[in-house]
Amino acid sequence: MANSTVRATFDVYRYDPAHDAAPRYQRYELDLAPHTPVLTALLRIRAEIDPTLTLRYSCRSAICGSCAMQVNSKSRLACETQIGPELARDGRIVIEPMRNQKVLRDLVVEQEPFWRNYDKIRPHLILDPTKPMPEGRENPMTPEQVERFRETPRCIACAACYSACPAVEADPGFPGPMALAKLYRFVVDPRDQAHQDRLVRIQTDGLWLCLRCHLCTEACPKDVRPSERIRDLKEMAIAAQGGTEPGSRHAIGFKENIRERGLLSEMKLVRQTSGIGGLLGEAGQGLRMVRKKPEILKRPHRIEHLEEVEKIYESLDHREAPP
Amino acid sequence: MKLAYYPGCVAQESGKELDRSTRYVCRALGIELAEFPSFSCCGSGFVDEANEVLNVAINVRNLAIAERAGLDVLTICSTCQGMLSLANLRYRDPRVKERVDAALRPLGIEYRGTVKVKHLLRVLTEDGGIARLQQKVVRPLGAVKIGAFYGCHLLRPADELDWESAEEPHAFEDLLRAVGATPVEYRGRVMCCGFPIQFVKPETAGRIAGRQIEDAKAHGADAMATPCPLCHISLDAYQNRAEKAVGHPLDMPVFHLPQVVGLALGATPEELGLARHLVPVAPALAKMGSAAPSR
Repeated sequence: MANSTVRATFDVYRYDPAHDAAPRYQRYELDLAPHTPVLTALLRIRAEIDPTLTLRYSCRSAICGSCAMQVNSKSRLACETQIGPELARDGRIVIEPMRNQKVLRDLVVEQEPFWRNYDKIRPHLILDPTKPMPEGRENPMTPEQVERFRETPRCIACAACYSACPAVEADPGFPGPMALAKLYRFVVDPRDQAHQDRLVRIQTDGLWLCLRCHLCTEACPKDVRPSERIRDLKEMAIAAQGGTEPGSRHAIGFKENIRERGLLSEMKLVRQTSGIGGLLGEAGQGLRMVRKKPEILKRPHRIEHLEEVEKIYESLDHREAPP
Repeated sequence: MKLAYYPGCVAQESGKELDRSTRYVCRALGIELAEFPSFSCCGSGFVDEANEVLNVAINVRNLAIAERAGLDVLTICSTCQGMLSLANLRYRDPRVKERVDAALRPLGIEYRGTVKVKHLLRVLTEDGGIARLQQKVVRPLGAVKIGAFYGCHLLRPADELDWESAEEPHAFEDLLRAVGATPVEYRGRVMCCGFPIQFVKPETAGRIAGRQIEDAKAHGADAMATPCPLCHISLDAYQNRAEKAVGHPLDMPVFHLPQVVGLALGATPEELGLARHLVPVAPALAKMGSAAPSR
């Protein structure tokens, strides 16, 4: 079995903006062992068939994060994705550049916006110059403090999450999952002395544009789980500052809303977050909705044993001032 | 089969047609729905953002209600499904459990963790469900092409939800084939509908919804169908925002999952509340050989 090979068909995205009017897909076929990594296959294509194929890579060991690309429409590190399962499922392997980044040539994308978002979260320790480092040793951390970093130190900045993120695609104001997971890493770092300031700033710098769709967590080859750390940041930002932005106001408003009856009062929530304009919606949409769905004007019924919900809130939550 | 019916908030308010069509389908297929008027809202992901442990506690209370009755939970919303499932999972973390138990114990609420939370899509398709459904189809949906739209929290995080493949799910497409429709394969089917930021930044939410609707359309969909009433709000009620974002009309009818099944089981459009949608479903119904809903 060790020597058995399969006929592998690759359809590779090719585009040179300097010369091509539009992108095209070029087909390459070669015989490879099923366990061959996609990156190895692409390097063989470049060495043996087509020296013009352009791609970015370095370590070949899933450490450097350079070779992230789309393999059969999914964000993957080419170096750790074997061709066998891809061929078994889809019959061929479609190779495309990362999404949400401009293509420079073939599989190489412009990384500048990705790194600009990273720089913006200030990815370094911010220390208080009046407090010197402990004498004679580095900053010791307890196991509990180390645990708070969760999986975030594993991030190799491959941008697979950035490529998969629908908020990045739709809104340049969203810094992307990687930058936010990095921000989390500094917010929980016991040596950092700008926690509050970081949380306050990110409230207006796109935190609340995260859709919690978890596509980043699904795409991440290192299981950093950015969407879950973004959730943590949201809770910490509310604890630090309360509901200062539409996003945090909405989360707090929702929490207080269901405390009243146990069920959501849709109209009340919309009014709380978006004001009377949001209630009516644009161009008569609100009125159309009321005509089709008149019960949104009524308050929901009260659940039975609502007092249990109230007691749970009393135990685990402090009452927020109404937004 | 008897299940603890967890309708969620929207199906009891603006999405009443979802509740109505769920009841129709379950009656037709012999799924008995036990009702619990003490169920609270799942927090819809927003309470989780504000206070994770509180969110686990209110959902463990919901799960405990079903456990006392010895029933698994039936959800009809991707977000309810996600929140209740995550509560089940996070409650196993001893640090979370300790705080949740401290809040629930004085109320006499105990939860042993035995309840499974299943979305209607799963109940209809697993353990031979597809074959049972096919036997009951009286009006196959014909040539209509439908783009399934799953909703994030039904699929992800996949390692925590323990059901379908998040990247290559097929249950919804299997279901559509079983009722005689033609499923459309498109990338947007597993993407986000934009709902969580509809009230935070409507223009961005509209762009995201528009992207997925256009994708379905480009792949030939006559209609879309979703197992999530929040996706339905984004894709149907706020399709005007999506149209504004993409700059042209979309005219995409969007069905709730049990409406599609109900039509194949012989329900009238009125019985399924199809006139309650903001985007008319008549063009899709015509392709199925059904008349438009009169009210």
